Amino acid sequence: MSSGKVIHLKNVVKRYGGRTVNDINDKVLGECGIEGLIGPNGAGKTTLINLISNKISLTEGQISFFKDGTEIDISKSSIDKLSRLGLVRSNQIIQDFDSLTIMDSMLLSLAASKQERFYKLFGDKKARKMAEEEIAWYLDFFHFNNPNGHADSAGEKKLLDIIRCMMLKPKYALMDEPTAGLSEDQTQRAIELMKKRTTEEGMRILIVEHDLDLIWNVCEKIHFMSEGKILLQGSPEEIKCNEMVHNKYIGE
Amino acid sequence: MSSYWIQAISFVAIFIALAGSLYLQSSIGGITNFGIVGFFGVAMYLYTIFVVTLAMPPLLALLAVVGIVFVVALVLGRVILDLGPQSILVATLAFATIIRHLATVLEGVTGAAKGIGTVKMPWDFEKTSDEKILFMVVLIVLAAIVLLYAAKIKKTPYGRLMLSIKDNEVLSESLGKATLNHKVIYFAFTSAIIGLFGALTAPIYTYIFPHFILADVTFVVWIALLLGGRMSVWGAVVGIAVTKFLFDYGIESVLSAFQVRMGPAFGAMWPNIKLALFGAMLIAIFMFRPNGIVSRKREGSLQ
Amino acid sequence: MDFWSYLANSLLLGIQEAAPLVLAAIGFTLIFRLNGFINVAFAESITIGAFIGVTLNLLGWNAYVSMIPSAIAGGILSVISYLAFYRPALRRGVGKSEMIILSVGVSYLFRHLIKIVWGNETMFYSVPGTQPIKIFGVGVTNLNMVCIGLVIITAVAITLFMYRTRYGEKMRALADNEDLAKSSGVNPLATSTLIWAIAGVAAGVAGAFIGIRLRVAADIGWNQILFIIMITIVGGIGSVRGAIVAAFSVGIIQMGIALPANTYYASIALLVLFVVALKFRKEKV
Repeated sequence: MSSGKVIHLKNVVKRYGGRTVNDINDKVLGECGIEGLIGPNGAGKTTLINLISNKISLTEGQISFFKDGTEIDISKSSIDKLSRLGLVRSNQIIQDFDSLTIMDSMLLSLAASKQERFYKLFGDKKARKMAEEEIAWYLDFFHFNNPNGHADSAGEKKLLDIIRCMMLKPKYALMDEPTAGLSEDQTQRAIELMKKRTTEEGMRILIVEHDLDLIWNVCEKIHFMSEGKILLQGSPEEIKCNEMVHNKYIGE
Repeated sequence: MSSYWIQAISFVAIFIALAGSLYLQSSIGGITNFGIVGFFGVAMYLYTIFVVTLAMPPLLALLAVVGIVFVVALVLGRVILDLGPQSILVATLAFATIIRHLATVLEGVTGAAKGIGTVKMPWDFEKTSDEKILFMVVLIVLAAIVLLYAAKIKKTPYGRLMLSIKDNEVLSESLGKATLNHKVIYFAFTSAIIGLFGALTAPIYTYIFPHFILADVTFVVWIALLLGGRMSVWGAVVGIAVTKFLFDYGIESVLSAFQVRMGPAFGAMWPNIKLALFGAMLIAIFMFRPNGIVSRKREGSLQ
Repeated sequence: MDFWSYLANSLLLGIQEAAPLVLAAIGFTLIFRLNGFINVAFAESITIGAFIGVTLNLLGWNAYVSMIPSAIAGGILSVISYLAFYRPALRRGVGKSEMIILSVGVSYLFRHLIKIVWGNETMFYSVPGTQPIKIFGVGVTNLNMVCIGLVIITAVAITLFMYRTRYGEKMRALADNEDLAKSSGVNPLATSTLIWAIAGVAAGVAGAFIGIRLRVAADIGWNQILFIIMITIVGGIGSVRGAIVAAFSVGIIQMGIALPANTYYASIALLVLFVVALKFRKEKV
C-alpha cells in the first residue's frame, strides 16, 4: 500500500552552543503508513520533530519533503508554508486557543483561506454546511462534554489538537506523544482514526511515544533514537528483540 | 436641537467608532496600538489640506485620505507587527509623535500653530444647523456600522482567524495561516477606519491645530475601552458614554444648568482633573476589575 | 558654519543635551531589567524633580543645592509607583505587556496631579549670572559644564555601585533570577525597592538639570520618555554602560540634525531610527 519516502534527512545537525542534540547523517522517514519514533528521554525526539516542522532551525544539513514524487527542500520553510504543503504536527505540550470554542477551533482548521477575508461578514453558506458535516462526524466519533463551549480537560484539549491536525488532511503528520493525557477510550478512538486515515486515505504518520505496547501494536516501522542519532530503523519485531535497544532503552 | 448637543453627539459618535476600532485591534487582533491619534491626525490634516488647499471635492478627498491611511498603516504594520507587544505599543506611540511633529514643523503645508481651515460641511443647505444635523446622523450611522461589524466578527471565519493569531500565533501558523500577512492587513484596514473618522472630525472643528492630536486622544480611547470592558464591543460604548458623555458634556451642562459659572481657573484646571481621574480609573481597573465594568467576570486572565 | 565647527558644536552641545538623558537612561534601564516592563511613568520622576527643585529655588535656595530634594522627590515618586501600583499588579499576575498600559495610566495620574498642584504655566529657575566659556570654539556656559560634571560623577557612582559593590551584585542577581537570588539571601522587596529608589533619584536629578537648562513644565519628562526607552533598548536592557554610550550618541545625533535643520526634524529622525532599532534588536522586547 505505501511506498516511497516522505522525509529525507541529510546531515541534519542541531547544536546549542557546544552541545549537539541531533546528529543524523542520512535517514529516510515515512515509507510506511504509521511509523514510530522511540528512545529514552533526552534522545532528541522532540527536537527532531521541531526541526522537521521548522519550529526551530537547523544548525547544519538539509531536510527534504517528498510530495507527489517531487522533492522539496523544507529546511527553511515557514511553519505555515509547511502546513499548506501538507506537513503538520500535533504538540506534546498542550496548545489551544483560549478565545475559541471547540466548534470555533474546528471551523478555523477547516476554513479555506478565501473565506478568511475582512470584508466577508456573512460567510459562505455552502462551505459552512460542508464544514459542519465534517465536524459532526468528528463530534460523533469522539466525545466532547460541551462542543459549543471550551475544551474542559487536558484530555479534550489534546484530542482537539489531534483533530485540528487531521482536519488539515495532511500528507504527513508528526504526532508528539499524542496519547499522553488521553483516557483509555479516547486513546482507542485516536488510534482507530489514525489507522483509518493511513489505510484509506494514504496519509503517513510518525508517532513519538513512550507507551511501547501501543508502538508495537500500531506501527509498521520503528525508528530508535538515542543521544541525538537515529541508531536503528526496522519492523516492530526487529526493534523489540534488538540488544542495543534493550540496553539503551527498554531494559530500563 | 442646540448646536452644543449636535456637536456633543457628533464627537461621541466619533469616539465610539474609535473605541470600536481599538476593540477590533486589541481585543480581536491582539494589537496594542498606542498611536491611534497618529492615524486620526494624519487623516484629519490630509483631509483638511485636500479640501482647503487643493480644493478637492469632499467625497474624493475622503476616499483618498482613507486610502492613504490604509497604505501608511500597511507599511508601518509590516515593519512593527512581528515585534513583541511592548515594542508595538512604543513604536505606534513613536509614530503618533512623528505625525504631531510633522504637523508642527511643516508649517507651509499644515499651518502649524496658526491652524488651517476653513473646513466646511460636505454639503450646502440653507441653515448651517441642518448641515450639521445631517453630518451628525451620518456619523451615527457610520459608527453603528463599525459597532455591528465588531460585534459580529467573532463568529465569522476572519474573526476566528484573528482571534487564533492573537491567542497563539505559532499554533495558528501550524494550521497553515499566514499570520503576519493577516495581521498587517487587519491592522491596515482597522487603522483606515480610525482615519475615516479622523477625516470626518475636520468639518466639525472647521479649523485644525496640532494640539488637537496630542497623545491624550489615544489615552482617552484606551481608557474608555478598558473601563467599559475589552471583552465585548459594547464595553467600548459604555466606556465612551462614561468618559466623553458623562465627563465632558454631562458635567459641563449640569454645571451650567445649575448656573455655576466655571471661572477661568476651573476651566483651565478641569482637563487636568479629568485626565488625573482617568489615570486613577485605569489604575483601579487593573487592580480590581481587569475586565472592565461591563464584563460579568470579576477577574480574568490578562495576557 | 564650516564643517569643523559644525562637528565641534554637534559634539559638545550634543553631550550637553544628552547629559540629563544619560542619568535618566541609567535609572530606567535598571528598572526595566529588574521587572521586565517599560515604565512610562518614569517620566514623571524626572518632572517632579524639576518642579520640586524650581519651587525651592524660587524660594531662595541655590539651584545646585536644590538638586538634592529634586533627587529625593524623584526617588520617592518612583518608590510609590512601585509599591502602590506595580508590585501589587505584578503579584496579581498582570502580564508584562499589560504593565506598560498600567504605567501609562500612572503617568497620566502623576502628570496631571503635578499640573493641578503647580498650574499649567511653565516655570523657570533663577540661576545666578552664567559665564560663557569657549571650548574648541564652541560657546558653552559654566552652568553646562557643572551639569556635565555632575552627570559624569553620578553616572560613575551608580556604575561603581552596581558593578563593584556587594549590594550592586545582589541587585543584578535579583534582576537575573529572582528564585536563585532569594535562595542566596537577597531580600527581593528591599532590594527591588532600593533599585526603584535609585532609578527615581537619577530621574529626579535629570529633571533638575533639564529644568535649570531649559524650563520646568509638566511635559518635560513625557517628552523625553520615548528617547529614554530607545536609548535603553539600543544600549542593552540593564546595561548601564550601554545606556551611557547610547544616550550620548542620541544627544550628538540630535544636535547634528537640529543645527542645520531644527529640533523637530531631529526628533523625527531619531524616532524613525528608534523604530529601526526596535526592529533589529536581537533580544525581542
